[in-house]
Amino acid sequence: MANEQTYLEEVKLAIIDGDDKASAVATRDALQADVDPLAILNDGLMAGADVVGQRFERGIFFLPQLMLTGRALKAAMAIIEPRLQERYAEDGGNKADTGVVVMATVKTDIHDIGKNIVASMLTASGFQVHDLGVDVPIKRIIATAQEVNANLIGCSALLTTSMPFMRDLVDLLVAMGERQRFKVMVGGASVTPEFAEKIGADGTAQNAVKAVQLAQRLIRAQREQIGVSVR
Amino acid sequence: MILSYLDIIDRANNGPYISEDNWDLEKVAMTTMKIVEKYDLAWNPEEIVTDDPGLADTIFDAGLELAQTLGAYSRSTERIIEFEPGELELGMRLMPQTLVMGEGKDARTLYARRIMDERLPLVWAGNPGAPHPEELFVPAVLSWAQEPIVDMITCGTLVEVDGREVRTEDPIEIISTRRELQYLRQILRQVGRPGMGMLAAQSSVSELGDLATAHPDYLRPCDAHLVPMLNELKMDNRNVARAVNSLEYGMRNASLPCVIVGGLGGDAPGSAVVNVASFIISNLTCLSDYHLCHPIHMLHVATTTRSVLWVENIVQQAFARNAPCIIVSDIYPKSGACTRELLYETAANAIVITVSGGHLEGCGSADGNAPNGTGLEARLMGEVGHAVARQGVSLQEANALVLTLLEKYEHVFEMPNGNPGARIDQAYELQTMRPVPQWEQMYKEVKTELREMGLVTLT
Repeated sequence: MANEQTYLEEVKLAIIDGDDKASAVATRDALQADVDPLAILNDGLMAGADVVGQRFERGIFFLPQLMLTGRALKAAMAIIEPRLQERYAEDGGNKADTGVVVMATVKTDIHDIGKNIVASMLTASGFQVHDLGVDVPIKRIIATAQEVNANLIGCSALLTTSMPFMRDLVDLLVAMGERQRFKVMVGGASVTPEFAEKIGADGTAQNAVKAVQLAQRLIRAQREQIGVSVR
Repeated sequence: MILSYLDIIDRANNGPYISEDNWDLEKVAMTTMKIVEKYDLAWNPEEIVTDDPGLADTIFDAGLELAQTLGAYSRSTERIIEFEPGELELGMRLMPQTLVMGEGKDARTLYARRIMDERLPLVWAGNPGAPHPEELFVPAVLSWAQEPIVDMITCGTLVEVDGREVRTEDPIEIISTRRELQYLRQILRQVGRPGMGMLAAQSSVSELGDLATAHPDYLRPCDAHLVPMLNELKMDNRNVARAVNSLEYGMRNASLPCVIVGGLGGDAPGSAVVNVASFIISNLTCLSDYHLCHPIHMLHVATTTRSVLWVENIVQQAFARNAPCIIVSDIYPKSGACTRELLYETAANAIVITVSGGHLEGCGSADGNAPNGTGLEARLMGEVGHAVARQGVSLQEANALVLTLLEKYEHVFEMPNGNPGARIDQAYELQTMRPVPQWEQMYKEVKTELREMGLVTLT
């Protein structure tokens, strides 16, 4: 009988191969063999996603592989999610640095490659991503964030003439009294840390890998804030 | 028979439905992957300028197969715009071989260039897409419009007018685009070349500006405007409207598929295949009078990375050998004004474009992401292109030159904040419109280096 490491390797390989059917089968097999769901997540799925992310950064993998990996992760997560929830409940809700993200390219802008890469990388890192696509009115972004109880809103604009709509989003959150509820990440070729700060967003990142790190930091900060307020 | 543009619109409204996600992954990415495998396509990062006619022909065949297999996608209607092979072939046969830009004594004729063509490439100066505050717009364009080597001009984007920010789909786009055209016409008069051709209406992302400037006082019928395709092989109604706007008025349509190298097409060979397919499709969807070749790098954006240079090279050669047409290729270096690397990047890119069959457009310095472009690098772009054509640089010689230049600038892609250099008002004395001494000195030194490398006819 295969040992735990073998099951985890199968999961990891399926993710690296971007094979959604194989990742679902491998995840199910691992669970049936009583492998810890957290180990499957971290040492199988995330470990595979890390490899894909590194290969993407080094120019060995390209966007299709990233998208296929995102798909494979989604298939595996659908199987493992209920078990993870049980596991997190057992741990007292000490969930990893992931959360729910609503992403969109803002109203009037239809450029989505950067946003798609970030969405794929976030998914690959265990975030639950609701990608609303392109040219999305800010009211819809906020409404979706409320509906899915998001931790984070990520919005993007490549066009300098669409960037003002990201400021509108932050302003509207403030006006609605919802600013503290959601962390806001902004991105796009012309978006700088200065711009992010100026419009009152919580941050921006230069690339997808850094965007994931930023999202993780923001989620941690949010959980700490909540922890403090609860105490 | 050739399609009426209304037929294209009909097909966009009534073609087979597919979600955009499935178009991207199942259609574009997967089909390209299969075609790359079928034709066994590969590239060599040490051979940026290829001397392999068979490879150019295979890339063309692969691109044609992709176009025939997929067609285009309407993002507005989520329908596939399908084409018969005969329609695509007729579209290619009807691609203009010459195209007059501008009017009167300032008019220039674009033509379909050949590989290693000894006729001079035309020099189209400017940095489309680069955001400019209003006070820097005129100095920037003036800096290249005043250069005698420049044949046509283009420009960046006005991001504010009268202190108000320009927002997409806002009525202010009409004002900003008309303001842009007023400035451009004023600049052409100022440099004594009022008939020079332009590629303009860059200050409006939506179709508003395009519609608002289709008038002889603004964008003349002898000028060009962009009719972009979206990544990858997609149109939307904004861009369909731009094509429609030219129908009776007669502006020159520049198709612009900015294929992402490392994107849905995968590595360089797949991206080249997607670029070929995009040009073939755009003959019908964009009513192309000429094609703008502007692949961009997935991570680095610039056109001066090895893989993007290779794609520009092979796509131009593919068309020059199999379906000659007018291709103008963009130079968007990573570096900005007052950096030596900008000049190396510009020279390398100009060599690749000229020797493999394109005309020159640029420079979108600093990734076209800042008002950090000047007339000086546009001058160098033209001078290098002319030297390459004049002295009959071979494909192999061009490759050796480019590899030498890559060694001098490739480190910029590792710089955490890029290499944006200086703004136009820091790079030029605005009173005299001359480059500041250190920028001019850098230019002279790099030209000396280029001559020593073998570009002996560089004037």
